[in-house]
Amino acid sequence: MKLAMRCAFGFALSALILISGAAATPAQDNAAPKSPSEIVTTHSFVSLDPVPRGKEFQAAVVVKIASGYHMNSHKPSDSYLIPTTLTPQLPPGFKLAEAIYPAGRDEKFPFSPDKPLNVYSGSVTLRLRLTADDGAALGAATIPVTLRFQACSMSACLPPVKVPVSLELQVVAAGAGSHAAHPEIFSAKPSS
Amino acid sequence: MNRPHAAFLLAIAILAVAVSFSGCKIGVPAAGSASNPAALADEPDVTFKDLQGKDVTLASFKGKVVLVNFWGTWCEPCRGEIPILIGMQQKYSPKGFTLLGAATNDEEKTVDAFIHNTQFNVGGQQMTMNYPIVMGSDDISNKFGGLLGMPTSFLITRDGKIAKRYIGSLNENQIVKDVESQL
Repeated sequence: MKLAMRCAFGFALSALILISGAAATPAQDNAAPKSPSEIVTTHSFVSLDPVPRGKEFQAAVVVKIASGYHMNSHKPSDSYLIPTTLTPQLPPGFKLAEAIYPAGRDEKFPFSPDKPLNVYSGSVTLRLRLTADDGAALGAATIPVTLRFQACSMSACLPPVKVPVSLELQVVAAGAGSHAAHPEIFSAKPSS
Repeated sequence: MNRPHAAFLLAIAILAVAVSFSGCKIGVPAAGSASNPAALADEPDVTFKDLQGKDVTLASFKGKVVLVNFWGTWCEPCRGEIPILIGMQQKYSPKGFTLLGAATNDEEKTVDAFIHNTQFNVGGQQMTMNYPIVMGSDDISNKFGGLLGMPTSFLITRDGKIAKRYIGSLNENQIVKDVESQL
Protein backbone atom coordinates (compact mmCIF):
# COMPACT_ATOMS: atom_id res chain seq x y z
CA MET A 1 0.00 0.00 0.00
CA LYS A 2 1.42 3.41 -0.94
CA LEU A 3 2.13 5.84 1.88
CA ALA A 4 -0.67 8.30 0.99
CA MET A 5 -3.23 5.51 0.85
CA ARG A 6 -1.90 4.05 4.07
CA CYS A 7 -2.17 7.45 5.77
CA ALA A 8 -5.72 7.96 4.53
CA PHE A 9 -6.59 4.47 5.68
CA GLY A 10 -5.00 5.02 9.08
CA PHE A 11 -6.69 8.39 9.48
CA ALA A 12 -10.08 6.97 8.56
CA LEU A 13 -9.62 4.11 10.99
CA SER A 14 -8.52 6.45 13.75
CA ALA A 15 -11.56 8.63 13.13
CA LEU A 16 -13.74 5.53 13.20
CA ILE A 17 -12.26 4.52 16.53
CA LEU A 18 -12.99 7.93 17.95
CA ILE A 19 -16.54 7.90 16.62
CA SER A 20 -17.18 4.37 17.84
CA GLY A 21 -15.56 5.13 21.18
CA ALA A 22 -17.64 8.27 21.58
CA ALA A 23 -20.78 6.27 21.00
CA ALA A 24 -19.80 3.61 23.48
CA THR A 25 -18.18 5.55 26.30
CA PRO A 26 -18.55 8.94 27.98
CA ALA A 27 -16.42 11.78 26.59
CA GLN A 28 -12.95 11.95 28.12
CA ASP A 29 -12.53 15.10 30.20
CA ASN A 30 -8.83 15.19 29.56
CA ALA A 31 -9.03 15.07 25.77
CA ALA A 32 -6.48 17.10 23.87
CA PRO A 33 -7.86 20.60 23.37
CA LYS A 34 -9.36 21.64 20.07
CA SER A 35 -8.37 24.82 18.27
CA PRO A 36 -9.87 28.14 19.50
CA SER A 37 -12.19 28.36 16.48
CA GLU A 38 -13.64 24.96 17.37
CA ILE A 39 -14.12 25.94 20.99
CA VAL A 40 -15.61 29.40 20.66
CA THR A 41 -18.05 30.84 18.13
CA THR A 42 -19.32 34.42 18.15
CA HIS A 43 -22.35 36.26 16.83
CA SER A 44 -22.74 40.01 17.01
CA PHE A 45 -25.90 42.12 17.32
CA VAL A 46 -26.77 45.84 17.45
CA SER A 47 -29.71 47.16 19.49
CA LEU A 48 -30.99 49.81 17.05
CA ASP A 49 -31.76 49.59 13.36
CA PRO A 50 -30.70 52.03 12.06
CA VAL A 51 -28.59 53.96 14.59
CA PRO A 52 -29.42 57.69 14.71
CA ARG A 53 -26.53 60.03 15.45
CA GLY A 54 -26.59 61.21 19.05
CA LYS A 55 -28.57 58.24 20.37
CA GLU A 56 -26.94 55.67 22.60
CA PHE A 57 -27.11 52.08 21.39
CA GLN A 58 -25.68 48.77 22.45
CA ALA A 59 -23.75 46.06 20.70
CA ALA A 60 -23.71 42.48 21.95
CA VAL A 61 -21.33 39.67 21.20
CA VAL A 62 -22.82 36.29 22.04
CA VAL A 63 -20.02 33.83 22.73
CA LYS A 64 -20.81 30.13 22.58
CA ILE A 65 -18.26 27.93 24.32
CA ALA A 66 -18.06 24.26 23.40
CA SER A 67 -19.17 21.69 25.93
CA GLY A 68 -16.33 20.61 28.24
CA TYR A 69 -14.51 23.93 27.93
CA HIS A 70 -14.56 27.18 29.86
CA MET A 71 -12.87 30.54 29.70
CA ASN A 72 -11.85 32.90 32.45
CA SER A 73 -14.50 35.50 33.25
CA HIS A 74 -13.77 39.23 33.00
CA LYS A 75 -12.86 39.14 36.68
CA PRO A 76 -10.97 35.87 37.14
CA SER A 77 -10.16 34.46 40.54
CA ASP A 78 -6.48 35.42 40.46
CA SER A 79 -4.45 38.24 38.99
CA TYR A 80 -2.29 35.85 36.93
CA LEU A 81 -5.29 34.49 35.02
CA ILE A 82 -6.10 36.19 31.73
CA PRO A 83 -9.52 37.90 31.75
CA THR A 84 -11.99 37.81 28.89
CA THR A 85 -12.18 41.25 27.27
CA LEU A 86 -14.10 42.86 24.43
CA THR A 87 -12.33 45.84 22.89
CA PRO A 88 -13.77 47.91 20.02
CA GLN A 89 -11.57 49.69 17.50
CA LEU A 90 -13.89 52.67 17.08
CA PRO A 91 -14.12 54.51 13.75
CA PRO A 92 -14.27 58.33 13.91
CA GLY A 93 -17.46 59.62 15.51
CA PHE A 94 -18.13 56.58 17.71
CA LYS A 95 -17.67 56.62 21.46
CA LEU A 96 -17.60 53.80 23.98
CA ALA A 97 -19.54 54.53 27.18
CA GLU A 98 -19.04 51.17 28.85
CA ALA A 99 -18.24 47.51 28.31
CA ILE A 100 -20.66 45.30 30.24
CA TYR A 101 -19.48 41.86 31.30
CA PRO A 102 -21.69 39.35 33.09
CA ALA A 103 -20.52 37.84 36.33
CA GLY A 104 -18.81 34.49 35.91
CA ARG A 105 -19.58 31.34 37.84
CA ASP A 106 -17.32 29.87 40.50
CA GLU A 107 -16.47 26.32 39.47
CA LYS A 108 -13.99 23.73 40.69
CA PHE A 109 -11.95 21.68 38.24
CA PRO A 110 -9.83 18.53 38.58
CA PHE A 111 -6.67 20.65 38.28
CA SER A 112 -7.90 23.08 40.94
CA PRO A 113 -9.94 20.94 43.32
CA ASP A 114 -9.68 23.25 46.32
CA LYS A 115 -9.83 26.66 44.69
CA PRO A 116 -12.88 27.54 42.57
CA LEU A 117 -12.21 29.53 39.42
CA ASN A 118 -14.51 32.25 38.14
CA VAL A 119 -15.34 31.26 34.57
CA TYR A 120 -17.73 31.53 31.67
CA SER A 121 -19.07 28.36 30.08
CA GLY A 122 -21.93 27.52 27.73
CA SER A 123 -23.15 30.81 26.30
CA VAL A 124 -22.18 34.28 27.47
CA THR A 125 -23.27 37.69 26.17
CA LEU A 126 -20.82 40.58 26.33
CA ARG A 127 -22.12 44.08 25.62
CA LEU A 128 -20.84 47.50 24.65
CA ARG A 129 -22.70 50.78 25.22
CA LEU A 130 -21.89 53.04 22.30
CA THR A 131 -22.85 56.36 20.74
CA ALA A 132 -22.48 57.65 17.20
CA ASP A 133 -22.03 61.42 17.24
CA ASP A 134 -22.03 63.99 14.43
CA GLY A 135 -18.61 62.85 13.30
CA ALA A 136 -19.86 59.34 12.42
CA ALA A 137 -20.25 58.83 8.69
CA LEU A 138 -23.83 58.29 7.50
CA GLY A 139 -24.63 54.93 5.94
CA ALA A 140 -23.25 51.48 6.50
CA ALA A 141 -20.58 51.20 9.19
CA THR A 142 -18.43 48.40 10.48
CA ILE A 143 -16.93 48.50 13.96
CA PRO A 144 -14.13 45.97 14.45
CA VAL A 145 -14.07 44.43 17.91
CA THR A 146 -11.48 42.16 19.46
CA LEU A 147 -12.53 39.36 21.77
CA ARG A 148 -9.63 38.17 23.90
CA PHE A 149 -9.98 35.02 25.93
CA GLN A 150 -8.08 32.10 27.33
CA ALA A 151 -9.91 28.78 27.35
CA CYS A 152 -9.27 25.46 29.03
CA SER A 153 -10.71 21.97 29.06
CA MET A 154 -10.78 19.88 32.23
CA SER A 155 -7.05 19.16 32.01
CA ALA A 156 -5.35 21.49 29.55
CA CYS A 157 -5.45 25.05 28.33
CA LEU A 158 -5.13 26.82 25.04
CA PRO A 159 -2.91 29.87 24.83
CA PRO A 160 -4.67 33.22 25.10
CA VAL A 161 -6.09 34.29 21.74
CA LYS A 162 -7.61 37.37 20.13
CA VAL A 163 -10.59 36.77 17.88
CA PRO A 164 -11.83 39.51 15.53
CA VAL A 165 -15.57 40.24 15.54
CA SER A 166 -17.41 42.79 13.36
CA LEU A 167 -20.39 44.94 14.28
CA GLU A 168 -22.43 45.91 11.24
CA LEU A 169 -24.81 48.87 11.48
CA GLN A 170 -26.43 51.72 9.57
CA VAL A 171 -25.94 55.30 10.79
CA VAL A 172 -28.67 57.84 10.04
CA ALA A 173 -29.18 61.52 10.83
CA ALA A 174 -30.15 62.62 14.32
CA GLY A 175 -33.89 62.32 14.89
CA ALA A 176 -34.44 59.83 12.05
CA GLY A 177 -36.73 56.88 12.66
CA SER A 178 -35.29 53.79 14.28
CA HIS A 179 -36.55 50.68 15.97
CA ALA A 180 -35.24 48.37 18.68
CA ALA A 181 -33.61 45.26 17.29
CA HIS A 182 -33.00 41.90 18.95
CA PRO A 183 -34.98 42.57 22.14
CA GLU A 184 -34.41 38.94 23.10
CA ILE A 185 -30.76 39.86 23.65
CA PHE A 186 -30.85 43.48 24.74
CA SER A 187 -33.78 43.31 27.15
CA ALA A 188 -32.27 40.38 28.99
CA LYS A 189 -30.20 40.90 32.11
CA PRO A 190 -26.50 40.25 31.42
CA SER A 191 -25.76 36.69 32.43
CA SER A 192 -23.34 33.90 31.70
CA MET B 1 -20.27 -1.73 26.12
CA ASN B 2 -21.43 -5.08 24.72
CA ARG B 3 -18.88 -7.74 23.72
CA PRO B 4 -19.27 -7.59 19.93
CA HIS B 5 -18.83 -3.82 20.04
CA ALA B 6 -15.74 -4.17 22.23
CA ALA B 7 -14.25 -6.75 19.89
CA PHE B 8 -14.97 -4.54 16.91
CA LEU B 9 -13.22 -1.58 18.55
CA LEU B 10 -10.27 -3.74 19.54
CA ALA B 11 -9.87 -5.06 16.00
CA ILE B 12 -9.98 -1.59 14.52
CA ALA B 13 -7.55 -0.30 17.14
CA ILE B 14 -5.03 -3.04 16.32
CA LEU B 15 -5.31 -2.28 12.61
CA ALA B 16 -4.98 1.46 13.13
CA VAL B 17 -1.97 1.10 15.40
CA ALA B 18 -0.31 -1.15 12.82
CA VAL B 19 -0.96 1.45 10.15
CA SER B 20 0.11 4.42 12.27
CA PHE B 21 3.45 2.84 12.98
CA SER B 22 4.19 2.28 9.30
CA GLY B 23 5.56 5.72 8.41
CA CYS B 24 2.39 7.77 8.25
CA LYS B 25 2.67 11.29 9.68
CA ILE B 26 -1.04 11.82 10.21
CA GLY B 27 -2.00 10.95 13.74
CA VAL B 28 -4.82 11.52 16.15
CA PRO B 29 -3.14 12.32 19.46
CA ALA B 30 -3.94 10.11 22.37
CA ALA B 31 -6.56 11.74 24.49
CA GLY B 32 -4.98 13.61 27.34
CA SER B 33 -2.33 11.16 28.32
CA ALA B 34 0.97 9.76 27.24
CA SER B 35 1.53 8.98 23.61
CA ASN B 36 4.44 7.38 21.88
CA PRO B 37 5.90 9.98 19.58
CA ALA B 38 5.79 8.06 16.30
CA ALA B 39 5.17 11.29 14.38
CA LEU B 40 7.37 13.56 16.51
CA ALA B 41 10.87 14.76 15.86
CA ASP B 42 13.19 11.96 16.87
CA GLU B 43 15.85 14.14 18.40
CA PRO B 44 14.71 17.79 18.50
CA ASP B 45 17.47 20.31 17.82
CA VAL B 46 16.24 23.04 20.13
CA THR B 47 17.82 26.15 21.61
CA PHE B 48 15.87 27.87 24.36
CA LYS B 49 16.64 31.21 25.98
CA ASP B 50 16.91 31.37 29.74
CA LEU B 51 15.48 34.29 31.71
CA GLN B 52 18.74 36.21 31.27
CA GLY B 53 18.62 35.73 27.49
CA LYS B 54 21.38 33.12 27.34
CA ASP B 55 21.11 30.14 24.99
CA VAL B 56 20.23 26.78 26.54
CA THR B 57 20.33 23.86 24.11
CA LEU B 58 18.46 20.65 24.71
CA ALA B 59 21.62 18.89 23.57
CA SER B 60 23.46 20.29 26.59
CA PHE B 61 21.38 17.95 28.76
CA LYS B 62 22.52 14.80 26.95
CA GLY B 63 23.44 12.15 29.46
CA LYS B 64 20.46 13.10 31.62
CA VAL B 65 16.84 12.06 31.41
CA VAL B 66 14.90 15.29 30.84
CA LEU B 67 11.24 16.11 31.25
CA VAL B 68 10.54 19.21 29.16
CA ASN B 69 7.39 20.77 30.59
CA PHE B 70 5.68 23.47 28.50
CA TRP B 71 3.74 25.62 30.93
CA GLY B 72 2.53 29.16 31.54
CA THR B 73 2.02 31.33 34.59
CA TRP B 74 -1.51 31.99 33.25
CA CYS B 75 -2.33 28.29 32.94
CA GLU B 76 -4.05 26.87 36.00
CA PRO B 77 -3.56 23.16 35.12
CA CYS B 78 0.14 23.93 34.60
CA ARG B 79 0.36 25.47 38.05
CA GLY B 80 -1.53 22.55 39.52
CA GLU B 81 1.14 20.05 38.52
CA ILE B 82 4.15 22.12 39.65
CA PRO B 83 4.27 20.49 43.13
CA ILE B 84 4.64 17.10 41.41
CA LEU B 85 7.46 18.47 39.26
CA ILE B 86 9.26 20.02 42.22
CA GLY B 87 9.04 16.70 44.05
CA MET B 88 10.41 14.81 41.06
CA GLN B 89 13.32 17.21 40.67
CA GLN B 90 14.12 16.82 44.34
CA LYS B 91 13.93 13.02 44.24
CA TYR B 92 15.47 12.16 40.89
CA SER B 93 18.01 14.88 40.07
CA PRO B 94 20.76 13.00 42.00
CA LYS B 95 20.09 10.03 39.69
CA GLY B 96 20.64 11.91 36.42
CA PHE B 97 17.26 13.50 35.84
CA THR B 98 16.16 17.07 35.37
CA LEU B 99 12.99 18.97 34.72
CA LEU B 100 13.17 21.79 32.21
CA GLY B 101 10.25 24.20 32.41
CA ALA B 102 9.56 26.08 29.16
CA ALA B 103 7.35 29.08 29.91
CA THR B 104 5.14 29.80 26.91
CA ASN B 105 3.00 32.83 26.06
CA ASP B 106 4.59 34.61 28.98
CA GLU B 107 6.98 37.52 29.56
CA GLU B 108 10.38 37.01 31.15
CA LYS B 109 9.70 39.43 34.01
CA THR B 110 6.40 37.73 34.83
CA VAL B 111 8.05 34.32 34.84
CA ASP B 112 11.00 35.57 36.87
CA ALA B 113 8.73 37.01 39.55
CA PHE B 114 6.61 33.87 39.56
CA ILE B 115 9.44 31.40 40.04
CA HIS B 116 10.98 33.38 42.87
CA ASN B 117 7.84 34.38 44.72
CA THR B 118 5.31 31.60 44.33
CA GLN B 119 5.33 28.94 47.01
CA PHE B 120 3.98 25.47 46.41
CA ASN B 121 2.94 22.88 48.92
CA VAL B 122 5.15 19.87 48.27
CA GLY B 123 4.37 17.11 50.76
CA GLY B 124 3.55 19.68 53.44
CA GLN B 125 6.65 21.75 52.75
CA GLN B 126 6.47 25.21 51.12
CA MET B 127 8.85 25.33 48.17
CA THR B 128 9.56 27.47 45.11
CA MET B 129 10.31 25.94 41.71
CA ASN B 130 13.63 24.12 41.96
CA TYR B 131 14.38 23.32 38.33
CA PRO B 132 15.70 25.27 35.33
CA ILE B 133 13.23 27.55 33.60
CA VAL B 134 13.59 28.72 30.01
CA MET B 135 11.33 30.58 27.63
CA GLY B 136 9.28 28.70 25.06
CA SER B 137 8.10 30.02 21.70
CA ASP B 138 6.07 28.90 18.71
CA ASP B 139 9.26 27.94 16.86
CA ILE B 140 10.37 25.80 19.75
CA SER B 141 6.94 24.21 20.11
CA ASN B 142 7.01 23.36 16.41
CA LYS B 143 10.32 21.57 16.82
CA PHE B 144 8.53 19.30 19.28
CA GLY B 145 5.79 18.65 16.74
CA GLY B 146 3.52 21.49 17.91
CA LEU B 147 1.54 21.83 21.11
CA LEU B 148 -2.11 20.87 21.30
CA GLY B 149 -2.54 22.50 24.68
CA MET B 150 -0.84 23.37 27.92
CA PRO B 151 0.63 21.82 29.87
CA THR B 152 2.37 19.49 27.46
CA SER B 153 5.44 17.55 28.53
CA PHE B 154 8.05 15.51 26.67
CA LEU B 155 10.17 12.81 28.25
CA ILE B 156 13.64 12.89 26.70
CA THR B 157 16.02 9.95 26.94
CA ARG B 158 19.64 10.24 28.02
CA ASP B 159 20.67 10.33 24.36
CA GLY B 160 18.34 13.22 23.54
CA LYS B 161 15.43 11.40 21.94
CA ILE B 162 11.76 11.93 22.69
CA ALA B 163 10.43 8.90 24.53
CA LYS B 164 6.91 10.10 25.28
CA ARG B 165 4.58 13.07 25.00
CA TYR B 166 2.02 13.97 27.66
CA ILE B 167 -0.85 16.32 26.78
CA GLY B 168 -2.66 17.94 29.67
CA SER B 169 -2.15 17.51 33.38
CA LEU B 170 0.35 14.81 34.26
CA ASN B 171 -0.73 11.66 35.98
CA GLU B 172 1.76 11.44 38.84
CA ASN B 173 1.91 7.64 38.97
CA GLN B 174 2.45 7.36 35.25
CA ILE B 175 5.14 10.03 34.95
CA VAL B 176 7.04 8.65 37.94
CA LYS B 177 6.94 5.18 36.44
CA ASP B 178 8.06 6.45 33.03
CA VAL B 179 10.93 8.48 34.47
CA GLU B 180 12.11 5.63 36.64
CA SER B 181 12.11 3.34 33.60
CA GLN B 182 14.59 5.70 31.92
CA LEU B 183 16.95 6.04 34.88
